Amino acid sequence: MAERHIEGYHVEIIPPKQDSQKLEEDLALFASKLTRIRGSGFMASITDNAMGLLAFQGHECIEELGIDIDPDKILIHLNTFHTKQNLEEILDECRKLGIFNLLAISGDGSTRLPKLRPEDVDATGTASVTSVELTRYIRKRYPEFNVGVAFNPYEPEAHEFEKLKRKLNAGASFVITQPIIEKNAIVDKLIEMYPDLPVTIEAWMSKKLYLLSDVVGYPIPEDAEFDPIGTLKQLEKDYPQCGFYLSLLGFKTQYPVIEEMAAERAARE
Amino acid sequence: MKIVVCIKQVPSAGDAKIDPETKRIVREGSKSVLNPFDLYAVEEAVRIKERKGGEVIALSMGPESAKNALIEALSMGADDALLLCDRAFAGSDTWATSYALSKAIEKIGDVDLVICGKQAIDGDTAQVGPGIASKLGMMQAANVLSVDAVSADSLTVKRMNERGYDVLRLKLPALITVVKDINFPRIPTLRNARIARKKEIPLLKPADIGADPDKLGLAASPTRVVKTAPPAVRESATLNIAGGSGEAAAALVNELSSRGLL
Repeated sequence: MAERHIEGYHVEIIPPKQDSQKLEEDLALFASKLTRIRGSGFMASITDNAMGLLAFQGHECIEELGIDIDPDKILIHLNTFHTKQNLEEILDECRKLGIFNLLAISGDGSTRLPKLRPEDVDATGTASVTSVELTRYIRKRYPEFNVGVAFNPYEPEAHEFEKLKRKLNAGASFVITQPIIEKNAIVDKLIEMYPDLPVTIEAWMSKKLYLLSDVVGYPIPEDAEFDPIGTLKQLEKDYPQCGFYLSLLGFKTQYPVIEEMAAERAARE
Repeated sequence: MKIVVCIKQVPSAGDAKIDPETKRIVREGSKSVLNPFDLYAVEEAVRIKERKGGEVIALSMGPESAKNALIEALSMGADDALLLCDRAFAGSDTWATSYALSKAIEKIGDVDLVICGKQAIDGDTAQVGPGIASKLGMMQAANVLSVDAVSADSLTVKRMNERGYDVLRLKLPALITVVKDINFPRIPTLRNARIARKKEIPLLKPADIGADPDKLGLAASPTRVVKTAPPAVRESATLNIAGGSGEAAAALVNELSSRGLL
């Protein structure tokens, strides 16, 4: 299977939570967002129990609701908090749906989520499964999948680049960064070191910048002003070769602006 | 095999508040969840059903909102659910609750096995399971960490004790309470979750289960709560350690040692 390149806008969507009190409503909203993203020609990035909060899986929402999708424009996040049986089911179901883009991440656990064991993914010489072992397993057992990995420019640089090397050696073929809000020297270095590696930059679309405090590793004041759209526009100028992953995008007010930006970008190209 | 699994909706661990006047848990306005230990009870009941056939009935007592806990049990594979829901049940302590649940189990009829979580995280008494068994005259084993064999008339289990475990064979009908080592509760599929939400959950009053109203509620509860207090909030924080990898590793070891974690 030809390797797919991940570019343009990725719009993050979160499937309904397991404890939803209005599940049908939430499912309808999920379906309408997915349909809208498809109509715009963007990539829909569907999270996997984000923040360790139990949610339904993206593929089962698509299947159960019979949502019409463009499989090449779906990116399924897959973390290490599953049983082996769950993992195989997710991969098999994605394959049936024709979805071959995955983002392998270590993920956030909780007491309610199981954790893959090294033997589940044929890993030896390690006490725990990370995105490296997960990527290697998927690429070995399911070589038709196009597996992306995360890159965190806030981690110690040498450590993060060494980890990225292991992820790429395991078979990863694209990268999505943690959110940045301005030109970032570590991301610049990543692009310089791997000029052929598709890099998608996460753009933070919430006005609540302080929610990024844990990611960046220092406190951001709650009243810090932040212009997500303006920041995205600047990032697009700084990184014209990259795709953009839009997290916490507002569908009512921000989405139409993003569509306009995409149309302008297409006209320019 | 007919299995009843008794479950309880409790305030989320991080969301519990106590009324300083009544010393009772304030349930209104707080996020409620299925008692974590009951997840293991539901899972074990469903696993036994999957192995041996039969049915699983989830049973709870509480306000109408406790239906959410029952929906979770249905999503995990329980076949039916019943909720004891009436003002007469309100304020029941473990004694009165055991009585109410035992009357409901009698009403269900022909129950082979009752499974409870080892305790609820709000009261932490671990009394209701044994109380039900006592009232129904069933054999019981508390703190079960594995169900090793199930036959038409008996159940072989490992019961946790201070030194390890005992192997017990219980004649059915019996009641067990389970600990979290017994299994890893499944995460419901979307399909099952949707079916569960459409299922009717009957609300039962004392008369429906043949319970004597004089044995229910606060007035019939011998327990008197003298004092309660919320646990101290445990703060979490991110510690950033600067420096090169060797220096940072040494600082981390020092930090963990100083907290008695190494």
